[in-house]
Amino acid sequence: MKRLAAIVALAATLATATACGTTGTTGTTGNTGAAQTAGGGVFTTIDGSKQINASAPINPFNPVGSVFAGYNGMALAWPKNDPVDPNQFYPGLASSWTTTPDQSEVVIHLQPDARWSDGKPVTSEDVRVSIGLAYTQGGTAYALDPRAAGAAADIHVVDAKTLKITQGANRSGMFLSNLLSTVVVPAHVFGRLLPADFWHTLKVAQDGEGPAAEQAKAEITGLAEKVIAFGPAHDVSAGPFVLERVNPGAALLKRNPYFYNSKAIAPDKVKVLNYTGNEQIWNYLISGRLDNAPFTSVPTAVMERIRGAGGSKVIKGYSPVATSMAFNQAHKPYDNVHVRRALAYLIDRAQVTKIASPEGGTPAVTTSGIHAKAARAWLDGGFDTLERYRVDAAKADAELRAAGMTKRDGRWALPDGKPWQVQIHVPASFSDWVAAAKSISSQLGDHGIDATVVTAADYTLYLGELADGKYDVAFWLIGLGPSPYNIFQRLYGQANGWQMFGGRLSHVAPGTQGNWMGGPETVDAGADGRVNPGELTSRLSYATPEERKRVVGVLARLTNEQLPVIQLWDYVNTQFVNTSRYTAFPPDDHDALRLSSGVWMQLGMIKKRQA
Amino acid sequence: MTPTLRGRARSKTSKTSPTSPTSSASPKAVARRVAGHVARGLAMIWVVATISFVIIREIPGDPVKGQYESLIQKGMSPEQAERATAVLYGFLPTGSLWEQYTGYINSLLHLDLGRSLSTPGVEVTTLIGSAARWTVLPVLAGTLLSFLLGVIMGVYAAIKRSGRLGDVLALSGSLLHGVPVYVIGLLLTAIFATLWPIMPSGGPVDVEHVPGLNPGYLGSLAHHAVLPVVTYTLASYGGWILAMKSNVVAVLGDDFILAAELRGLKRGIVFRYIARNAILPLFTVLALSIGMLFGGSIFIEQIFNYPGLGLLLVGSISSRDYALMGGTFLVITIGIVVANIVADLLYTAIDPRVRSGGAA
Repeated sequence: MKRLAAIVALAATLATATACGTTGTTGTTGNTGAAQTAGGGVFTTIDGSKQINASAPINPFNPVGSVFAGYNGMALAWPKNDPVDPNQFYPGLASSWTTTPDQSEVVIHLQPDARWSDGKPVTSEDVRVSIGLAYTQGGTAYALDPRAAGAAADIHVVDAKTLKITQGANRSGMFLSNLLSTVVVPAHVFGRLLPADFWHTLKVAQDGEGPAAEQAKAEITGLAEKVIAFGPAHDVSAGPFVLERVNPGAALLKRNPYFYNSKAIAPDKVKVLNYTGNEQIWNYLISGRLDNAPFTSVPTAVMERIRGAGGSKVIKGYSPVATSMAFNQAHKPYDNVHVRRALAYLIDRAQVTKIASPEGGTPAVTTSGIHAKAARAWLDGGFDTLERYRVDAAKADAELRAAGMTKRDGRWALPDGKPWQVQIHVPASFSDWVAAAKSISSQLGDHGIDATVVTAADYTLYLGELADGKYDVAFWLIGLGPSPYNIFQRLYGQANGWQMFGGRLSHVAPGTQGNWMGGPETVDAGADGRVNPGELTSRLSYATPEERKRVVGVLARLTNEQLPVIQLWDYVNTQFVNTSRYTAFPPDDHDALRLSSGVWMQLGMIKKRQA
Repeated sequence: MTPTLRGRARSKTSKTSPTSPTSSASPKAVARRVAGHVARGLAMIWVVATISFVIIREIPGDPVKGQYESLIQKGMSPEQAERATAVLYGFLPTGSLWEQYTGYINSLLHLDLGRSLSTPGVEVTTLIGSAARWTVLPVLAGTLLSFLLGVIMGVYAAIKRSGRLGDVLALSGSLLHGVPVYVIGLLLTAIFATLWPIMPSGGPVDVEHVPGLNPGYLGSLAHHAVLPVVTYTLASYGGWILAMKSNVVAVLGDDFILAAELRGLKRGIVFRYIARNAILPLFTVLALSIGMLFGGSIFIEQIFNYPGLGLLLVGSISSRDYALMGGTFLVITIGIVVANIVADLLYTAIDPRVRSGGAA
């Protein structure tokens, strides 16, 4: 009996070991124990953009695929962290590019020495196939609707290392940016996903009319699921690394000897650790395991311990994003601009930021819809003319009275005499937003305004209820720069009733089709006259640089006066690095800070620390 | 999954003396009994699948919009986020609720749980299978270890109940039974992974080791499993020891034990009589606990980054991955239903009086 039990136990161990296997990808053969590394060592990091999913395919078109940007995932170019120009890029697989002033035509030159990890050269055909696959996914430069702004009209292979891509008639200033962001996959691996007549079908979809065009569009979008489900047996990468294996806890990438700038790459391997909660990242940082990690919300006490770890360093730079408290203007009393202004005068943004995001944010200088650094660049001296909304109880009282509010027994009441209850909604999982909302409710309470914080169980529920118009006041991420169109789309886009259908802009009623901000379609913008903010925002996607600057000025002033949101803090891009094993990380305010450390390596940064 | 059978256990407990009459049921009766269990189990699975299907579809929130905004929060540009999520609309269920339901049941009958939205293009069965192996290892090991430890210590705690050892054991059970599992997990992580880092702080195995039957890989697998297993064991141990102690104390006062002692039977034999009778109700709870293991242990998986079924379920809910949610619920349901059947049959096998139709 005991012998039988021993055999069963042994079999169970073997079965467990086999079952708990790992997705091997690069044909690693039978060495036992830890993977051998040469002098470059293993660089350990976290991918903040996604969690590792060992079941996902090695496919960049799959949102959770085992492809890590900058390591084994390569784009034509990498965006710089420029506050105003979305078309500033570092070379990736494209060594250089030229464009006409209106971006109607872009010529891309590929890296002459670029090769895939199986030794085959990276060619224009790889880029063409990648663009074809991107069409199956839709969106941005690869929209099938020829009327969509910024859609590519023609992809022409000039030679093995050069392509010319033309933009459709409905121009967008984001065309170059979207084009250069194209992820490139090997045609000899992914090419089979495109049917032989794909390019003809694409032509019919874009240029044809009637049922034939619709049929062609359906055929192309019908490929989407097949494309994202495709899982190559092994990784074939043109990046500095190639995936060796992945398990649910981490991905291991080894150096790609064929990478075009291989001599710039210091580590022999990269280990990307998975995480299921911020506390794991904290533990990794405290124990000094990570060479680089993206910013995560960190309590002050934990931050001190992270800073205390040997070699630990924090790099800070510009992040184009800001947090705001948004109003549903279809709900009373938030339809009244005086109420919104009163609240702006009552909220101490410095205190809120200190409590909610002391390391990752700076208090918003004012509300313009744009991060202060970008706003200064866009508005020049105009930024200083904006109302700052410094804490001023007297001004707040005056605004509330102008809105018809009354104060009884020290508490503010609505114009009809009913008690005023401010409910601030936040998703429960965003600890910084919850802390900020609590601080605001406390500050408002001190001024005689009853305010409570209501949390939604998860972010998806929060967004659903927000879109349904269930909230009066809610937190909202704004300022998604550098593209000015994206910045103001956040305030005067779908969330505020403006929708683009077939290249035509329309405005829908509050409470319908996701219009939860409920602002008016046109607004009196003082010296700028009566304006349609959604129409102005839409114009930002194709305006000339001069026109764009003027429109940004109008929208920033309008936002400052009308306050569809109160800007609370501007984010700071905060990266954790550890210099015990590697050095030469980018300095503070470097314009590559928002890119992965894989891209830093491509750009010649990150060197092995010499003993 | 911590046993909470004080009271419940006793309702099924009646003492089995070593001389109890046994009467075996006919094979036909056993088959009838098993068939009845299976039919009831299938009906229960269908009911739960139907209820969970409706509840899942009624959860508010647009999964694609949620994913888009999550990517924006992670720093993606709107264009990148749109590119990454536009295709997900193709994975959303279409048609009326009834059409979706009939399609769902039809797929279930063909053992097809559908494709995931959060891991687009991947079969739900693949994801569940992948997560299940990381759940089974720590939860099963933790359950069995805590059971073994709890039962042995429970017997000692009962026998030595008037001594210091009994007090200490009972106190340890009460304390650990009252401490939430996440507190134990966080405490162990803080001590053994951060302050005194002799244990890995997360992940199921070091990815640097080549998978297979090599000492490095197996060692890493075991090393990473230590803290999750110990956490689970400590969290469950309290329930087992308290239940076992209570059962043993009850059995100690029974006539057949007095008779055995009076007949001068050896202490070891008497001890066996006691343990055998006291452990009976715990087997039922053990079987149910093993059935429950497919629910994973969300806190343990979260704390130790052990990507099991618990985390899979939580992730599927937050991403509104209908197919994955339905599949995970179904697996948990099947686990519990099967465990119930096994527990019932097990009880029949180990307790002769139940086998004879509850005459005892």
